[in-house]
Amino acid sequence: MTDHVDVLPEASRHPFIDQLQKAFRNNKLTGVGAVIFVLIILVAIAAPLLAPHDPLQQHIIARLKGPSAEYWFGTDAYGRDILSRLLYGARVSLVISLTAIGLAMVIGSIIGIIAGYFGGMIDLALMQVMDVLLAFPALILGLIVVAMLGPSMENLIIAIALTAIPPFARTARAPTIAVKERDYIEACRALGFGHPRIIVRHIFPNVLSEVLVMGSLWLATAIRVEASLSFIGLGVKPPTASWGGMIREGFENILDNVWLSVCPSMAILLVVFSLNLLGDGLRDAIDPKTRSDS
Amino acid sequence: MIHPGNPRVEPVLDVSNLTTSFRIGGEWHAAVRGISFALQPNETLALVGESGCGKSMTALSILGLVPKTNGRVEADHIRYEGKDLSRLPDEEMRKIRGNGISMIFQEPMTSLNPVLPVGFQVMEALRYHQKMSRGDGEKRALELLELVKIPSAKSRFKEYPHQFSGGMRQRVMIAMALACRPKVILADEPTTALDVTIQAQILSLLNELKAETDMSMIFITHNLGVVAALADRVAVMYAGDIVEIASVNDLFARPTHPYTEALLRSVPRSDRDTKTLYSIPGAVPPLTRMPEGCRFAARCELAIDICRRQNPPLETLPAGGAHSVRCWVRGDHDLTAMKEHADV
Repeated sequence: MTDHVDVLPEASRHPFIDQLQKAFRNNKLTGVGAVIFVLIILVAIAAPLLAPHDPLQQHIIARLKGPSAEYWFGTDAYGRDILSRLLYGARVSLVISLTAIGLAMVIGSIIGIIAGYFGGMIDLALMQVMDVLLAFPALILGLIVVAMLGPSMENLIIAIALTAIPPFARTARAPTIAVKERDYIEACRALGFGHPRIIVRHIFPNVLSEVLVMGSLWLATAIRVEASLSFIGLGVKPPTASWGGMIREGFENILDNVWLSVCPSMAILLVVFSLNLLGDGLRDAIDPKTRSDS
Repeated sequence: MIHPGNPRVEPVLDVSNLTTSFRIGGEWHAAVRGISFALQPNETLALVGESGCGKSMTALSILGLVPKTNGRVEADHIRYEGKDLSRLPDEEMRKIRGNGISMIFQEPMTSLNPVLPVGFQVMEALRYHQKMSRGDGEKRALELLELVKIPSAKSRFKEYPHQFSGGMRQRVMIAMALACRPKVILADEPTTALDVTIQAQILSLLNELKAETDMSMIFITHNLGVVAALADRVAVMYAGDIVEIASVNDLFARPTHPYTEALLRSVPRSDRDTKTLYSIPGAVPPLTRMPEGCRFAARCELAIDICRRQNPPLETLPAGGAHSVRCWVRGDHDLTAMKEHADV
């Protein structure tokens, strides 16, 4: 026996990686969704480089222009370039949605796993609270929170996260209940491991794939809710560009220039569409009912 | 060499009057009924019996893994290293599980976590119980995988359970159980789920490991062929009772309890021309409908009146050795008066 373990060979593939691969191989649309979404993220990150104009710069003479070489998608009521505002608006939408869903994923998974693992009264109490939250439609709950806390980026994130926590708690709880009865969890207890270790090291990795897939689907919902709240004026404050806010601003001048509302609408449609393609493909890959092979 | 029942040797594990009951429909029913045995250092004690005899429950009771919501474990004592496991708080018990006493499970296909690399799973107990560093843990885990003869262990260290065959997974399970050098291993039918050639490999591996270390083993099985290959002493269980306990040679040479006899008759043998294999009529009575008296009486060809009224005590046979049996007919009882009522 050598004194030291040399560098161990590269890690083998995690079963989740296999599932991911299957998702992309079996359904080409999954890949299309992923590519579109990644492109949108890249565009949002590179917005300052790509935007032809300052999104806040007003040109009162060039207001409500249609598409032209100078302004590809036209200008709004203040003469601001719509393309530039779309690019910067993507940053707002994505930052809010990603942060909110990230928060909801973490908090929801913790609640769901604890409820599922311990069961009994803990499960009952936690899931009752989740059910109460679930009873509100996402938009109404968001409305209540923003109305109480006031419109700002942080409050928008809190509002969206709050609406998304219950579905994540449910998503995490179901596989936890199944996994905790498995032989390998019994084996963990026979090895003397305590609850925290069993939950973190053995239950969580088994729940992760379903939570991630749920995340990709709920990201689309979060973008929609963010746009809706911005549309009714509870989103980020003007003049900061956000897609929902742009639709509302465009609404006031829709008879003069339809591009004002159509462009941000198409942007939202594109993101939601790509996320749904991606999420559906991933869900099919991990769902035993639709999985082509075990 | 092993000295069964030798009082001079301090037993590693001393179980006295262990009863495990379950609440079914509001009533408590005993799945394990006041069993006692002592495990000597480096001894392999086989627990034998059909499914539902309380073999696995005995192992889970020793480790304190019987579900507390509807299960109950009572014992005069379960002594291990001067501690009474039946009265140890869970916190203390956790330090013994996987460290001093560890368990090998029946189903290698489902007893490993599918989303964690096998090397990590072997290493985990070491890092948890012995606070080993990552490097030391990896080194020892690799040694263990080599000890249980996993070919090219190093390259397979980071592979996932689905990349292993059933026999290889059972080797990993054994490596996990051995990780902290436990004094006692509870092996719950570790070869039942494997095919015969792999069974033989795992058994010879266990035999080698036992010879190399000073661990003791409780080997749970319903396969008497496995018992002959591995055990020093055998306890035959039926419906929660130990009905016969003897050294492996005594048991095979002089099976005394009718149930032991019937079990031995049910083993297929290549040296006899048998057209049909003997099987014991009936089944183990369910927990909720345990008969009074001897629990085997309903399936016993020798049953007499008293068998149905009163459960016989476990008594040492006069022939010597440490051969005990729980039977009115075959045990050392004066039944001349009763035999007239025999109704076979």
